Amino acid sequence: MSAPDQILVDDQTLKFCPGETILDATRRAGCSLPTLCHDPRLEPVGACRSCLVEVKGQRRLMPACKTPASPGMQIETRNERVLRHQRVLLSLYLSDHVGDPSECEDGAPCELHALAKDLGNLPVLVPLQRKHKPRADRNPFIEFRSERCIACARCVRYCDEVEGVNAITLTGRGLHTTISTASGISLYDSTCELCGGCVDVCPTGAMAEKMPLSAGAAPERELEKVRTTCNYCGVGCQMDLNVDRAAAAGRGQVVKVTSPPAGTAPSDGNLCVKGRFAYDFIDHPDRLSTPLLRGADGNLHPASWEAALERTAAGLQEVAKKHGADALAFVSSARCTMEENYLVQKLSRAVFGTNNVHQCAAT
Amino acid sequence: MYTRSDSPAMTHDKKTRAHVPELLQQLGQPSAAGVDAVARHTGVPAADVFGVESFYSLLDQRDLKTRVCTGLSCRLAGAEDLLKACDKARLETAPTSCIAACDRPPAMLRERRVVCEVTTGDVLESQGSFEKLYSAAGSDWRGSIWPATADEGESLLNLAAAPNWSAAGYAKALEIGPEAVIQALEEAGLQGRGGAGFPAHIKWSAVRGEAEPVKYIVLNGDEAEPGTFKDREIMLRRPDLVLDGLAIAAHAVGAGEVWLYLRGEFEIPREIMERAVAAAEEEERYGDLAFHFHSGHGAYICGEETALLESLEGRRGMPRHKPPFPTAQGLWGKPTLIHNVETIALVPTILLRGAEFFRQAGKTQPGTKLYCLSGHVARPGVYEMPLGVSLDELVEAAGGYIGELKAFSPGGASSGFLPASERARPLDFQALAEVDSMLGSAGVVVLNEGVNMAWAAAEQLEFFERESCGQCAPCRIGTAYQRASLERFREDGDAQALEHVDNIAWEMIEGSICGLGQTASLPLTSALRHFPEDFVANSSGGAPQ
Ligand SMILES: Cc1cc2nc3c(=O)[nH]c(=O)nc-3n(C[C@H](O)[C@H](O)[C@H](O)COP(=O)(O)O)c2cc1C
Ligand code: SF4
Ligand code: FES
Repeated sequence: MSAPDQILVDDQTLKFCPGETILDATRRAGCSLPTLCHDPRLEPVGACRSCLVEVKGQRRLMPACKTPASPGMQIETRNERVLRHQRVLLSLYLSDHVGDPSECEDGAPCELHALAKDLGNLPVLVPLQRKHKPRADRNPFIEFRSERCIACARCVRYCDEVEGVNAITLTGRGLHTTISTASGISLYDSTCELCGGCVDVCPTGAMAEKMPLSAGAAPERELEKVRTTCNYCGVGCQMDLNVDRAAAAGRGQVVKVTSPPAGTAPSDGNLCVKGRFAYDFIDHPDRLSTPLLRGADGNLHPASWEAALERTAAGLQEVAKKHGADALAFVSSARCTMEENYLVQKLSRAVFGTNNVHQCAAT
Repeated sequence: MYTRSDSPAMTHDKKTRAHVPELLQQLGQPSAAGVDAVARHTGVPAADVFGVESFYSLLDQRDLKTRVCTGLSCRLAGAEDLLKACDKARLETAPTSCIAACDRPPAMLRERRVVCEVTTGDVLESQGSFEKLYSAAGSDWRGSIWPATADEGESLLNLAAAPNWSAAGYAKALEIGPEAVIQALEEAGLQGRGGAGFPAHIKWSAVRGEAEPVKYIVLNGDEAEPGTFKDREIMLRRPDLVLDGLAIAAHAVGAGEVWLYLRGEFEIPREIMERAVAAAEEEERYGDLAFHFHSGHGAYICGEETALLESLEGRRGMPRHKPPFPTAQGLWGKPTLIHNVETIALVPTILLRGAEFFRQAGKTQPGTKLYCLSGHVARPGVYEMPLGVSLDELVEAAGGYIGELKAFSPGGASSGFLPASERARPLDFQALAEVDSMLGSAGVVVLNEGVNMAWAAAEQLEFFERESCGQCAPCRIGTAYQRASLERFREDGDAQALEHVDNIAWEMIEGSICGLGQTASLPLTSALRHFPEDFVANSSGGAPQ
């Protein structure tokens, strides 16, 4: 047990790398420790207190998320003291929260209720029944519901440390500590870019997507998540379409977009306003869903892909024959993936023999 | 990955940020335009500026000019009647936490100036004009002291003597050198007077031993523990000792800059200290040592040393995690020596009169102590006595109890309540810790038989709830929950309302980040333990006296 890269966690020997915290080491080994304010993209603050563990030789319980692992450290994560701490702590959180999980989890699942359920046997406290003023904000995407906020400041730190935008802050003091923009202005009037990262990192659904809530969409845990690549630009951010299979008369509908976990390549769970919120084009009536060909009558008519491709190929070939390949130019879209863009230049250079190829994000 | 300090929007210079609260103060009323102006001026993001503004009670409600102290000692002296009288006189007021005037209660605040011993008559006569009230009550803030006349014998701080600007202590430090200074503190056994009683020399050696060349000295003049007003008295009467002590500390640890952090309500002490600094700089008494001032803006938590550093850097006063300790990473990340005003003021005397003299001056532990005595005693005030005197000895010097002693807080709200049976216990760091209390800041509040302890505990719980920084849930929600439980009990007389008190108190001790949350339940748990008769169902009784 004196190896320079080992710690003892509940009688299990774990290896750690230099710079790792107790939490890093335990998570890598697959042990679960409760956390609320932690996010691997953020500097640890140790504020929510849910990850406190007993470290031999330390009088006080220590936050695993903020305490560096050191050689030979002996850690208890499930003894009576730690479990009692977790139970009373969570009961305190719940006394100042939307107590009924089904009411609380109308949108995103609540990590607080999940931890309470896992742990069980919580003391039942009398709810504090704090009055909350609903806050209207005219931005169309993000809603803040303060009665669900546990002041973990994940949203604030994300906005600051990951986005570098600093649109929101912790305000007030004591029990009145909550989240706000400068002087409570609309996100629209702040430096906010509406990336929705605050919604993603919020553990309790206090920062929430407006559109599914106002549309009365099913709670997130009843939706099916379909991992896909955002097609708004070539970065290739991964995202999860949240699909309600039963909606739209059984045709299914994308109800919202959520982030994959932090650490997912290439975008680490981050999205921009388009990826996260501009998904309503999917079912928009104006959206083209079949090719259209102009008929002899001068109007556009739905056509099959075969017919459309044939007409396109014929047109291109005709121009090349008449005026030479350099009379053609191929411009592809920034919304195409890198692979698709590669194929366009292949088509241009190898098939038609022209270097007139461009992509709208290339400048 | 960006870290807090290098995120691209944070383009401001670190030290510019320190001015954010002060700039906000200079604006009239809180406004979005004001927040934006400060943001533009400093380069600190507007949301961040707003977060700072909303944290401090003197910034958040700048337009509210008048406040009435509702600390325990002021309540005992009729603060509630004062609030009612203000209402009648149409003087817009709000309650404030203790403003360090417990020896001359009840006290009020006009903007940032304290007015003492206000009567309901004064308020009614003022007809809503605070100017009138202010001139009626006068602005001298000095209270009574013991010994009352200059005493070069036993007294170490000698508050009654005139300031002595000879800087003899500093000269002595230059003569004997840093190592000897620190050794003198060790031999004297000087313990911090801010609350924890931590041996001073350990912090001095730690800061001195840091390789980093930039180091700071910070004076903790936040003095916001309810029942405490000794630092006020030192600065009002002996600014010379404070400056000398700071200069000695800077010399000993190798610091080039000193920051004096005084609570916002200490405008008068600040003026006195500023004059003293100006004179010292004029005559280059301490070489090129630079002194800076920073006022607090109404937040008890900023007395906690790491919250104080955050506040000094212009942020919300939320305590940092320790370790790292300020001696290694303090102000702007540099090694920092933080001391209470009294601790610092004792340093010159230790050098001049010797470590042994200092040791002998104490009764059970080294040195004298400034005890702040208020509540039901004949002559409230600041008493310099040997460390370790008992309550009875202390009150005897103060002309005796008013009524029959029932309970006392030996060290401010954070020390909870002790029963009369502890009246002979030494008031020192160790003996009080043995009974789950503490000497803390030595804010001794005496309560007589007329006081209901459920009522007294309620006052203290409200204080902690209002002053919790809100960072960690055990304290943020725990203080509110304990207060609400006691309130339910006092309303319904139903002892069931108190069933979770011990469990939550346990969690606040185990789970809170800093000392505020760890001690915040003590007024209630100690009252329950020592005065169960005041918590029997349906006897929760009302007002004191
Ligand atoms: C909630 C809280 C409030 C405090 N308030 C003060 C204060 O007003 N003044 C003070 O000197 N120390 C205060 N302290 C203690 C400081 O954290 C620190 O220990 C002290 O300034 C160190 O100085 P000393 O060594 O001279 O005592 C407070 C501590 C806590 C936990
Ligand atoms: S214990 Fe209270 S005051 Fe201290 S950090 Fe936690 S919330 Fe803030
Ligand atoms: S996750 Fe460690 S304190 Fe919040």
